[in-house]
Amino acid sequence: MTLSATDEGALALEEIPPFLFQLLKEVPDRGASDDPRVESRFYPAPGQDELLVEDWKSLIQPELYELFLSAREVVQTDLATASEESGTFAMEIPKNHMDSWLSALNQARLAIAGENQFEEKDMAEDLAPDPSDTRSLALFEISFFGFLQECLVKMQD
Amino acid sequence: MPAIDTPEAVTREKTGVDAPWNVIVHNDPINLMSYVTLVFRNVLGFSKEKARKHMLEVHRLGRSIVWTGSREKAELYVQQLHAHLLLATLEHTPQS
Repeated sequence: MTLSATDEGALALEEIPPFLFQLLKEVPDRGASDDPRVESRFYPAPGQDELLVEDWKSLIQPELYELFLSAREVVQTDLATASEESGTFAMEIPKNHMDSWLSALNQARLAIAGENQFEEKDMAEDLAPDPSDTRSLALFEISFFGFLQECLVKMQD
Repeated sequence: MPAIDTPEAVTREKTGVDAPWNVIVHNDPINLMSYVTLVFRNVLGFSKEKARKHMLEVHRLGRSIVWTGSREKAELYVQQLHAHLLLATLEHTPQS
């Protein structure tokens, strides 16, 4: 897989192996997890005050939900534009979609970590992805999505 | 104790009612350090150096007070930080 910046400021991903492209296609669904552990991470309490927490749940949480959904939809649309050639895939992340990708990739990482109850020590593990091992694959996904996030952050720097 | 309508007494009362609120960002093992730094710059308007300083504070100490001021503005910042999936809370500053 190769990554480069286009003249228009987009991030071009080329020669994406099918395995990695499949992981990318799962980004929107990952962020749509209905696991309660993921929900509590996506919508943390803003403080200790009971009234504030109550208001937050009813007023702010729905807005955040729509924001997160909107980001995933942008990513879904971009993924649908990918082209296939000689067994690999290619696509671009336009400059004005980068914030959505950052959000959706972060959602996916947090959702995977929440569902697997990963802690700080798990993040430091050496990765040798084993597709037959669910935990190993999950850690690899977090790392791969993190790598893409880093690329997008660098481009916005 | 000064009479109630002297400037000193009015100021002291006003401070008690409008005690500022802190916006606190808490550590999370998943969020990338580079991403947290970017969010601090975009949401809070920090310089690169200040954003990095607060990010390292979160990373090393578990939390960092990133802003202090009115409750309304504190709530807005917490909402924006939550929108970027950072763990953030608002707290009333301790009354002196």
